[in-house]
Amino acid sequence: MSEFCQQLVNGLTVGGIYALIALGYTMVYGILKLINFAHGDLCVLGAFIGLTVISSLGGASGSPAVWVVGLAFVGAVVAVSCAGVLLEFTAYRPLRSAHRLSAVVSALGASMMLENGMMLIWSPQTLVFPQGSLPSISWNIHGVQVTFTQLLIIVVSLALMGALYLYVNRTRFGTAIRAAAIDQDAARLMGINVNRVIVSVFILGPALGAIGGLFIGLYYRQAVFDMGWIYGLNAFIAAIIGGIGNIPGAMLGGLLLGLFNALAAGYISSTWQEAITFGLLIAILLVRPTGILGERVAEKV
Amino acid sequence: MNTKIFRWLGPVVWVAGLAVPFVLGANWISILAIFAIYAVVALSQDIVLGRAGMFDMGHAVYFGIGAYVTAILNTVYGVPVLWSMIPAIITAALVGGLLAAPIVKLRGDYLLVATIGISQIFHLVMVNNVGGVTGGPDGIFGIGVPSLFGHAIMSQGGNFLVDWVLLGLVLLLVNNLEHSRLGRVFRYLKEDELAATTLGVNARYYKILAFALGAGVAGAAGTLFASQLAVVSPGAFVFTESVTLFAIVLVGGQASIPGVLLGTVLMFVVPQVFRELAQYRYFVFGIGMIVVMVIRPQGIWPRRRRME
Repeated sequence: MSEFCQQLVNGLTVGGIYALIALGYTMVYGILKLINFAHGDLCVLGAFIGLTVISSLGGASGSPAVWVVGLAFVGAVVAVSCAGVLLEFTAYRPLRSAHRLSAVVSALGASMMLENGMMLIWSPQTLVFPQGSLPSISWNIHGVQVTFTQLLIIVVSLALMGALYLYVNRTRFGTAIRAAAIDQDAARLMGINVNRVIVSVFILGPALGAIGGLFIGLYYRQAVFDMGWIYGLNAFIAAIIGGIGNIPGAMLGGLLLGLFNALAAGYISSTWQEAITFGLLIAILLVRPTGILGERVAEKV
Repeated sequence: MNTKIFRWLGPVVWVAGLAVPFVLGANWISILAIFAIYAVVALSQDIVLGRAGMFDMGHAVYFGIGAYVTAILNTVYGVPVLWSMIPAIITAALVGGLLAAPIVKLRGDYLLVATIGISQIFHLVMVNNVGGVTGGPDGIFGIGVPSLFGHAIMSQGGNFLVDWVLLGLVLLLVNNLEHSRLGRVFRYLKEDELAATTLGVNARYYKILAFALGAGVAGAAGTLFASQLAVVSPGAFVFTESVTLFAIVLVGGQASIPGVLLGTVLMFVVPQVFRELAQYRYFVFGIGMIVVMVIRPQGIWPRRRRME
């Protein structure tokens, strides 16, 4: 039983990270119908910038101060949001009226550029986060080990998800985001500045992704330039499981995928865990292509 | 532009290519041999993506299946390389058809995601050495050279000619496809599936057929790839490779033979020529892909629209 609970805690931690990243995919897809393949790499950029802040301000003797770690998060969020907006302006906006596939190629190109740009800047090696970036406290609750990092990730990601949910559902600008996702032209006719909405989505998504990326770095205590694609892909699967374009769906999908991954790795096979994930994905696509919370779309004639 | 000139230009260039081993140096011969192989794979990707309009982002899988079938048949059972091309084509086409059967009904992006999943599963199956035949992460070594009429083709030039002949055959196939009924059915399905279905086209059947055809052609290229490098490993058929193929078709121009060939040159030949800049390769290509799409969303050399 305690082992099962341990897997649940581990799964919830990773699931929270997936959910944070998945939100960026789902919001962009909801409005632009574009798979933003560069999103995973933006998250890694967040991890790298955070690491750079921690290692340059943290001092030589380990254990950086709390404000340094806080600053790492702020720096990552600001830089990655800027990168997201820049990407929107240069790579996606000019293609908004072009064929969908052109934007997909542009997104793939952006992913390639970011990934290899980071390799050129930060070296192709795996970079290690300094010891004690976060306090190494852990609690033992009836045989279940919960570390401070895990608790932080779970609490912060749930809080951010709650905040985003309230923002999108309770504020005027959130309503504009939802309206633009349903029908851009109608939203424009109602006086909504759709361009502003899209820019805001390219700020919010990468901001959450940067936090997710930095969490990955702090949780596994390492980061490598090409890890974005596998975390991005998992988060994207999470978005699909929940119903792509659907914000609560991405949250639910992320948490479920994290739990599923942890249980599959713990009880079935860790070498095949990834294949099991993709098997699950294909099975879900076949049975319910629009995901758990997605709406069924009628055939347009 | 004069279309008559274009009709003759292709065959003339191909015939001129036969002289490559006698004119150019060893370095160029091997670069052009790799070009021929990847051009075949890119053309096969174009059958699925550019002609039938299905977003297949796992095409390197079928290329890999062809290469692995040849590697296993040659090293374990001693089957000559060129003979192994037949089972390689059949296996790749069968797997392509079987994998496509349940997923072709998925629309656009969902199909794309499912094929990414297939590509990841293929990679894991090869790395984990399922059935003990794939050699795990290291792959399979010591694949023989092709032989013709009992005469082993040892030289780079001979290898190039074999690749060039396959490219010629595939170009003929694709050219015929373009003007055949099957090619038109693919195009209708791409343009408007619903309309095609109402006219009595069995969409599911033809989509699976397109997948099997594309996979089979990729499998043939896999055979030559395995024998050229004398080694196959999972790393050569990863998702990045599929993405590159996907990008070649869209950057070059969908359903356009010159476009796809041009795309192959840009993505595979140019980096070979500028080897010292290898670490900047993908960085530059990433920017290049964005720039090309922004300037020419339909690709560099798109299919010309004919009045029909």
